[in-house]
Amino acid sequence: MIKLTFVQADGSRIAALAEAGDTVMQAAVAAGVSAIAAECGGACACGTCHCVMTPEWAKRLPAAAADEVDMLEFVIDPQPNSRLSCQVTVDELMDGIEIHVPESQI
Amino acid sequence: MTSVATAKIDLAPHSAAFAADPYATYALMRALPGAYYYEEIDTWMLTRMADVEAVALNKTMLRNNEAFVSEEAQRAQQKALNFHDMPHHERFVQVNLLESEGATHDRLRKVVFREFTPAMISRQREAIQNFVDGLLDHLCERDEIDFVDDFAAHVPGHIIGRVLGVPDEDCPQLRHWSEEVVRFFDPGRGDADKARAEQATKAFYEYLLTLLAVREKAPREDLLSRLIAHRNEGRLSQDELVSTAMLILMAGHGSTIDVLGSGMHALLTFPDQHARLRADPGLMKTAVQEMFRFDSPLPFFHRFATEETEVAGQSFPAGTRFGLLYGAANRDPARFENPNLFDVGRMPNRHMAFGGGAHFCLGNHLARLDMDVIFSSLNRRFRTIALADEPVVYKPGLSVRGPKALRVAWTRA
Repeated sequence: MIKLTFVQADGSRIAALAEAGDTVMQAAVAAGVSAIAAECGGACACGTCHCVMTPEWAKRLPAAAADEVDMLEFVIDPQPNSRLSCQVTVDELMDGIEIHVPESQI
Repeated sequence: MTSVATAKIDLAPHSAAFAADPYATYALMRALPGAYYYEEIDTWMLTRMADVEAVALNKTMLRNNEAFVSEEAQRAQQKALNFHDMPHHERFVQVNLLESEGATHDRLRKVVFREFTPAMISRQREAIQNFVDGLLDHLCERDEIDFVDDFAAHVPGHIIGRVLGVPDEDCPQLRHWSEEVVRFFDPGRGDADKARAEQATKAFYEYLLTLLAVREKAPREDLLSRLIAHRNEGRLSQDELVSTAMLILMAGHGSTIDVLGSGMHALLTFPDQHARLRADPGLMKTAVQEMFRFDSPLPFFHRFATEETEVAGQSFPAGTRFGLLYGAANRDPARFENPNLFDVGRMPNRHMAFGGGAHFCLGNHLARLDMDVIFSSLNRRFRTIALADEPVVYKPGLSVRGPKALRVAWTRA
């Protein structure tokens, strides 16, 4: 299992365990990270699973595809390292990653 | 591929018993080991959240099977659906964003997605509030109203008309056309309904052409003006512009009226929950989310399998049609604790009333905002609201869920 930590807007942390191949969104939902609404279920069609990577992790992850970049334009308060968690697939190299989630998606 | 257990369940969507309580039938279907085959429409019905979600998110499952059947089969399909003699309907209603897939769907969705983001929609709050206040200023003089016909039915179409950029005085006409156009989809429709649906589509088309010409000359801050700009820049064709405008109106009008009615009914059926919401208006967001779960206004959609696939533990060939019973999945006890209880604070509440996958409801924020403004206003303006006539009769059929009428008595605050 790969360990992910979600840092919520109030600074509290939620630890999650994921399998390689899961998406970060699936791991967040399973761990009860309520700020990840992910209303479309992971089709890059709603923009409600926004998260922000640390600069170090952002560099290490595969870049966002065109659909994700388009959708990120519409999230609340997008950051340079914003991602849609449904479009980021977990792998072994991500063990220990910290991911920031916004207060609200809508 | 037949199921013995299927035969024991009588799915009769047009019966009064089903309209009164579809959830009892859904519970029986959910208890089957696999999917339920509904012979009448040659469709495998899915009622468990896990199955419905899996199919909605499966990229090989499409709403439109055109790419996978011959032209001849398409014509036969069209004939079976009986719209072959409805040129405007065929051109603007059968072909649109909702019915498209792949690159066409992505292109059309991208054009309108920005119009329905929370930030864009929140700009309508004041207009919705003013419109609702105006309606309630008149209705509050009465002790009793039909919540559906006297009140709810007036709001969503008017607001969508505003979003499109239709002048206020034309919004009632737009609403009327929308209701006529969707008659085609009524399972019990006759030839007269078909003729009216075609007539309304034509009238709506001609109205839009006139309005588009006006907006083309003098663009405004509205959706139609922006769609014209997209069309001029080659992002969508003129027919796609028209079908998109029609879809936006049709998709959000009737369904929002239905859920306003069923949401009000739920509050009146669970008075403890209504009291809780009155005491804590901060629960409005979760209450609205729960109204969509409890009686999902569009409880049935379909998908076609484009390759052999396993669903609900069974194997199905390419071409199989699946029914996604969102209304059933949203009452699945495997996903929701006490699914038949209406809980205004339910959290988490990951339901599928807005669908899922690439076709996830574009207008969900607008519908939620309508609901938020309406129920907040009602709770502020009325000290008591009570059911004035029982039983409340719901519309028949698989595809819609909402009360035909909802008589309520109220006293002003």
